[in-house]
Amino acid sequence: MSRAYALNDWYVVADAQTLARGPRLTRLLDQDVTVSGTPDAPNVVDDAGRAYPTQFKYGHVWTCLGDASRPLFAIPEADEPGRRLVPCGVVRVKCSPLRAVENFLDIAHFPFVHTGILGSEPHTEVAPYKAEIRDGVDEVWATKISFYQPQAAKSAQSGGDTDYQYRVAAPTSAVLYKTCPPKPEAMDVIAIFVQPRSETECDVWPWMALYDDTSDFAGLVQFQQEIFLQDRSILENQRPVKLPLDPKMEIPTRADLTSIAYRRWLKSKGAFYGALTEDA
Amino acid sequence: MSKFTLYNYVLSGNCYKIRLMAGLLGVTYDTVAVDFYPGLEQRSERMLALNPAGTLPVLVAGDLVLSETQAMLAWLATTHDPSGKWYPIKDASLHAQVLQWLGFSARLTTSVGAARLNAMLDWPVDVEAVRSASRKDLDELELRLTDRVFANQTWLVGDRPTIADIACFPYVALSPDAGFEHDGYPAIRNWLYAVRSLPGFVTMPGIHPLHELREDGANG
Amino acid sequence: MLTRPVGLLRDLDPKRVMRAQVGGQDLVIWRARNGDISAWDNRCPHRGMALSHGFVRGNDLACLYHGWHYGSTGVCRYIPAHPELDPPATIKTTVFSVVSVDGVIWVNTEGAAKPAPVPIASQPLRSFHVDAQSEGLAQACLAVAFDGGAPEQLAHGLYQLGARQVLLLENPLDGERIQITALIDADAKPEDCAALSRWCDAVRRAAQIKMVAA
Repeated sequence: MSRAYALNDWYVVADAQTLARGPRLTRLLDQDVTVSGTPDAPNVVDDAGRAYPTQFKYGHVWTCLGDASRPLFAIPEADEPGRRLVPCGVVRVKCSPLRAVENFLDIAHFPFVHTGILGSEPHTEVAPYKAEIRDGVDEVWATKISFYQPQAAKSAQSGGDTDYQYRVAAPTSAVLYKTCPPKPEAMDVIAIFVQPRSETECDVWPWMALYDDTSDFAGLVQFQQEIFLQDRSILENQRPVKLPLDPKMEIPTRADLTSIAYRRWLKSKGAFYGALTEDA
Repeated sequence: MSKFTLYNYVLSGNCYKIRLMAGLLGVTYDTVAVDFYPGLEQRSERMLALNPAGTLPVLVAGDLVLSETQAMLAWLATTHDPSGKWYPIKDASLHAQVLQWLGFSARLTTSVGAARLNAMLDWPVDVEAVRSASRKDLDELELRLTDRVFANQTWLVGDRPTIADIACFPYVALSPDAGFEHDGYPAIRNWLYAVRSLPGFVTMPGIHPLHELREDGANG
Repeated sequence: MLTRPVGLLRDLDPKRVMRAQVGGQDLVIWRARNGDISAWDNRCPHRGMALSHGFVRGNDLACLYHGWHYGSTGVCRYIPAHPELDPPATIKTTVFSVVSVDGVIWVNTEGAAKPAPVPIASQPLRSFHVDAQSEGLAQACLAVAFDGGAPEQLAHGLYQLGARQVLLLENPLDGERIQITALIDADAKPEDCAALSRWCDAVRRAAQIKMVAA
């Protein structure tokens, strides 16, 4: 029941680098699949030999185990000239895929979990911002967020206020747009594409499209990996494991508007894979 | 002017041994980021020419190229700690004990370190073997640290921290990344806290800073 | 018996935090700056984060995730994202009864903590986990020699080991594991402790081999 909605979304199961190293046996929505081929012609088959639709976008192989009626979302910034496109590999986390996305949307944890990078005491206050479900595109958006950051990006030379926008394009895919230190008129794009292995375990594929002409590639990857791995020990220690969608189970504040909108949106769509709800 | 260059991967516990030691000694250095994962750059021709073992970290100081963390820790302490306390070579017994723990630290890399790479990055390992070895190594460390508690001692060797503590610290601190919690290991828990409380301590992902020590933190 | 031993006070200094389990309930055990011990449901009601990863500031425990501060009654006192806000009293975690007697920390998750009387004048040895059940542990205790002699059981969990006595206080964890808090007789010298600690290790290994074989 909880899997029904999830089946018809697209999910990442590999990137170009893993493809080049040979077939990848992995798991998606409790289903074992093997990913092989090339970026021009990726293949995804299950252990019965059944093939699933694939596409190669944003440096990753995407597949769909259901009817693929919902198209993969667009990230137009990926095609903007001058941006460096940075896939960051994959990290396995024993958590609900929905908890992984919700953590990505949260800023109040920056001073405590990403200390000295994305936040720092005493700059802990979260000013009011705007979060909404945009029915037309069926996405959750949070805007007008601003937060003091000691080092907003690898390219940042000093601390400063950073503007943030969050976009949840699908239940397990989220995109962040944030102030680009060397090019303040543009925004850096950071995304996580979460591959739900099961309701309680996921493979997380971070990806970025940045303006940064000075940092070496390894430095860019590691800056993002450092931040994501700081979240991993939080994610593996949240209970209940599945994301509670009914409001009385966990207590939000005004700083949690994005998470509140995200949970309400999931509940309204019946996107219950990885969730705890009386409705499921 | 920096005294050495560290070829580094931010998520590597072995690289962190050197970053941590440098932080505790107040030493600055240059860093070269090597794309250990997902790029496997440590196995590139350029990196193999520098270090045929294909591992990280690599420490370069002038003509000296080191590829073993035990050697790096010894070199750092010898060249940057005039007091000789971090690496006590004048006392034969203390020196030998430090070397014994450096040997143990290599076992931790292949047990807990490997279990962590497997749990986090799906690194191929013999899962049952490394997990069984991890438990055995943690049990042994707990036993020995409990001996130290009976002797009213905090550190692995002598009465102050040495490179023995720094060599063993990272993978033990990071063992929860592989699902090995410290709940059944009170002596380990307290020793980890002592290391994390040292002036100049630096963190890495999986090891949070001690927020309680911040001067500008709110106390409610 | 509902009151369980969760560890040694020696192993939990003021301003320190640890995790424990009693009867399937996940607990955070922590000490304030003033030394007071607390035992709470190990879960921040904000986003379910384990409070045992938290940090002590003054006499409050703060959650690692967003820094929410909780006072001694388990009620949230401060939310860093909203420094001017007085948090509603509904934001709280569940507080359980905890006492420290003779160096052992005891918790009852269903009422007032009433530790079982300790039958010997004792001092702390160590606390550890065993993958075994109580009978297997008892058999292992009798099977592992100490100082060349066989142990003698004096009472449940209490063993004579040559001139020494060891008391193993049991806290059953999930199904197949027990947390042991080991005490020794008050007359034991520091030089006895290492040997007794090794005996505990040997007992654990023997009990766990039996589990695998069974």
